Amino acid sequence: MRHLLARWSFWCLLLLVLTALFGGRLFDAPPEREVAAAFSKPLWIERDLPPTKEFRLSADTPSLRFDWRYAPPSRLSLRIDPSVGQTGRFVEWRKPGAPEPLHLAPLRGGFEADGRDIAFKRSLGLPPFGDAAASLFSERGSYELALSGEGGFEGEVVLKLEGGRWGLLGTDQRGRDVAALFVAGVRVSLIVGIFATLLATFLGTSFGLAAGYLGGWIDGLLMRIVDLLLSIPLLPVLMALAALWGKGLWQLVLILSVFSWMGTARTVRALVLTLRDAPYIEGLRGLGAPPGYILRKHLLPETLPVLLATMTLGVPGAILSEAGLSFLGLSDPRVISWGRMLHEAHSFGAFTAGAWWMLLPPGLGIALLCLVFLDLGKFLEERVDPRLRKGVRS
Amino acid sequence: MISIRNLSITYGRMTSRGRSGETRAVKNLSLSVEKGKLFALAGESGSGKSSVLMAIPGLLPEGTRVSGEILLDGRNLTALSEEELNALRWRRIALIPQGAMNSFTPVLTVGRHLEEVLDVHLGLSKRSARERTDELLGMAGLDASLASRYPHELSGGQKQRAAIALALACDPDWLLCDEPTTALDVITQKGIVDTLKSLVETKGVGMLLVSHDLPLAASVCSRLFIMKEGALVEEGTPREIVVHPKNPHSAALVNALLELEREE
Amino acid sequence: MNYWGRRISGALLVLALVLVLNFLLFRLMPGDPVASIVDPRFSPEAKEQLRKMYGLDRPLPVQFALYVKSTLTFDFGISFLTGLPVAQELRSRVPNTVILLGTSLLLSAALGTWLGMKAALRRGSLLERCVLWSGALSFSFPSFFVQLLLLMFFASMIPLFPLRGTLSVPPPAGGPALLFDYLRHMALPVFSLVLLGFGGWAIYVRNLTVKILGEDFILLARARGLPRKNILRGHVFRTMLPPLLTIFLLSLPSVVSGAVITETVFSLHGVGRFLLEAVTGHDYPAAGAAFFLLSLLTVTCNLLSDLLYGITDPRVRLERGNR
Repeated sequence: MRHLLARWSFWCLLLLVLTALFGGRLFDAPPEREVAAAFSKPLWIERDLPPTKEFRLSADTPSLRFDWRYAPPSRLSLRIDPSVGQTGRFVEWRKPGAPEPLHLAPLRGGFEADGRDIAFKRSLGLPPFGDAAASLFSERGSYELALSGEGGFEGEVVLKLEGGRWGLLGTDQRGRDVAALFVAGVRVSLIVGIFATLLATFLGTSFGLAAGYLGGWIDGLLMRIVDLLLSIPLLPVLMALAALWGKGLWQLVLILSVFSWMGTARTVRALVLTLRDAPYIEGLRGLGAPPGYILRKHLLPETLPVLLATMTLGVPGAILSEAGLSFLGLSDPRVISWGRMLHEAHSFGAFTAGAWWMLLPPGLGIALLCLVFLDLGKFLEERVDPRLRKGVRS
Repeated sequence: MISIRNLSITYGRMTSRGRSGETRAVKNLSLSVEKGKLFALAGESGSGKSSVLMAIPGLLPEGTRVSGEILLDGRNLTALSEEELNALRWRRIALIPQGAMNSFTPVLTVGRHLEEVLDVHLGLSKRSARERTDELLGMAGLDASLASRYPHELSGGQKQRAAIALALACDPDWLLCDEPTTALDVITQKGIVDTLKSLVETKGVGMLLVSHDLPLAASVCSRLFIMKEGALVEEGTPREIVVHPKNPHSAALVNALLELEREE
Repeated sequence: MNYWGRRISGALLVLALVLVLNFLLFRLMPGDPVASIVDPRFSPEAKEQLRKMYGLDRPLPVQFALYVKSTLTFDFGISFLTGLPVAQELRSRVPNTVILLGTSLLLSAALGTWLGMKAALRRGSLLERCVLWSGALSFSFPSFFVQLLLLMFFASMIPLFPLRGTLSVPPPAGGPALLFDYLRHMALPVFSLVLLGFGGWAIYVRNLTVKILGEDFILLARARGLPRKNILRGHVFRTMLPPLLTIFLLSLPSVVSGAVITETVFSLHGVGRFLLEAVTGHDYPAAGAAFFLLSLLTVTCNLLSDLLYGITDPRVRLERGNR
């Protein structure tokens, strides 16, 4: 156990599982929602570019002071709700160093204006083709958005600014938060990887036990099926089945497992063959124990350590297969997976837009997940080996 | 002559992470052998005798520590580089390995093995090499047709003789034989041993024969060395050792042999 | 039946199975297959023509016989998507895919073998550790990810290579210019495949070399005073040859999967992308043809690898009943 805790892959896996389970809570909006402009850059690069932001005024916060040290936003919109307004009051706007505030809008419930509206522009004293956002944010410095006058206001004033930056990892071609998509993708990769491999291990163990213990024509037949299936290239078959059978997640898990049980079957069969003629097994047979009993109570437990190692090493294969299929567009479009993210990056011109933040996270995520399972699998394999070498209990 | 002085061999193990673990196989051993005579080095398995043999042409595994000297006509072999050793190998010293060893490369014919050393060491043309190959096989008691056979097609005895033919290829001064009769039946054993003896007598090579079969060793050599646990415990003519064993261990061995004979 | 007879009949059985499956896939779809798939695209006359051509008005066994006959003569029918004969479509694409896969497989194998042997000869060195890591890395990083990154850096940000296609549109005139244009388009795809492929080879060859170097006969080769180069070439490499050739041939079918993805990323005019479009577009004649060719390739490679192993490894030759 101590050795396990010392391995980086254990902690990494723990972190990824926690992210899959609870990561969604880090974000306000569900990952499919559009939160900012398309192809927004991550917040931590190009600090000159304006971020996408929202400012809210209410009875509790009648005024907001903030620093604006970037270029003007590309778009803005103002909304006042609910329907109860207060006459004589306005939404005020103070630019840095300006003595007098500007009136953005009367405090009328239900007021809505977009920076491109001509009426709004006129109210600000701008020509019809002027840029409201550029004008309002003409300088860098300290700004204030406030409600004029006094009085209890029961609504909310929302000023939405659309810029070129958002979030930890920017946005995709539909303005969705890439970080939120990334976190959602962990879930799919882990689920598909683990379940497909679990199912494949179950199938492989059953067939391996049967072939190794029962021998004869069953063994012969099963091993020929194994050879046949092993020689079939996986991806084309997956493509055909996905196109014909449907792109659902569980279909994918099923198909993946049907084509990956062969390795486990061979390993289990080899193990059973060495154990089958052990004295204590022969003794049990002599006492009249039925094959099912021997398999279940004695042979199966012997295989478990090896199975754990083989399974862990098999997960990356499933993850990569799912990613490959999703990348080719053959997965459920409603399901967010890392492969799907890369598919959209490719199909919707992420790199012509230079949006590397759409490419790197999902790709690195897949690689990381695979490396984690490979390292854990290697660790388990090393642990299992000496026990195997010690041989059978006598 | 080959003179071994204070030879100590310690094995380590090389893995992808470097050296690990150590075993002392030979402790401070000294002996001398001359050309024209058959010397035998006997002892139980694990006594270090094969290590001594392999140390002479420098064939110990990587990571083995060797101290002491092995002088071939005054030249210290342990101090030579791989290239310098290569110049001596097979031309001055040839190895006839254990029969149990996979000494031939499986994908090459026996003839190819012979032609290769003839080409590399003696620069013989293809035709001369082929002639010499037939000659060598004959010397070892084999039919020339075996040259086109692959190693796995030969019987144990044939393989051993082929190894002898290969060892003779460059007309070496020294033949080092490592357990030449293990894994062979008694009749084949006798044939091989006779061949080896006649080589010493007719060609005047010096032979150091390693064996755990003490009676066999004693019956063919002119001088016998006995090792136990890495050290030399007895040396002398076979007669001397059997009649006057100086060491309790060799005494015990001799007694065991005599008992066998008495029972017969 | 002797060994070869069994292997060949096994291969034929697989091909027969593939033919049956392909056939069933097409015919047993619910509803009128022609109508359900090509509905808006073909006129009623064309549909009738198709129906007659596929013999959809004849009993099932006759249809199967017709299907088998046409497939074995490489007459794969008309594509639903393009209306052109499938065989013609394939003919223009097969060379590109073969060049892409052949070149990258050969280069990866050569580079991987060279590095693997070097790593085995220098145990514990940095090179060896890099080789061991490169295998894990090239396995874990999805191929399309690496390829997209390459495209982004070397085609988009630094426009050294073209973004898509097998040739420029319109292709340049004249032999050398055309060749150069082709090479420019193929450079990134081949490079990416070699980058992704050499690691696996290097690890396999390294392990194999380490095993062989530990064998007695290599020690004996050293004992015979043979120079290092001779030992490496004539004994180590020669012993590795049978398994290497086998792996090489057996890896061909799986490399085809790589073609699908690579051709999609780089928008190459090859069989892989053709397969993807056929499958997603429910173009059954095209998909059926591609799958049949793929099965043919797989079966042939398996047979060839067996054959070559028997030729290069004398121990195996005898087992297979030459006595």
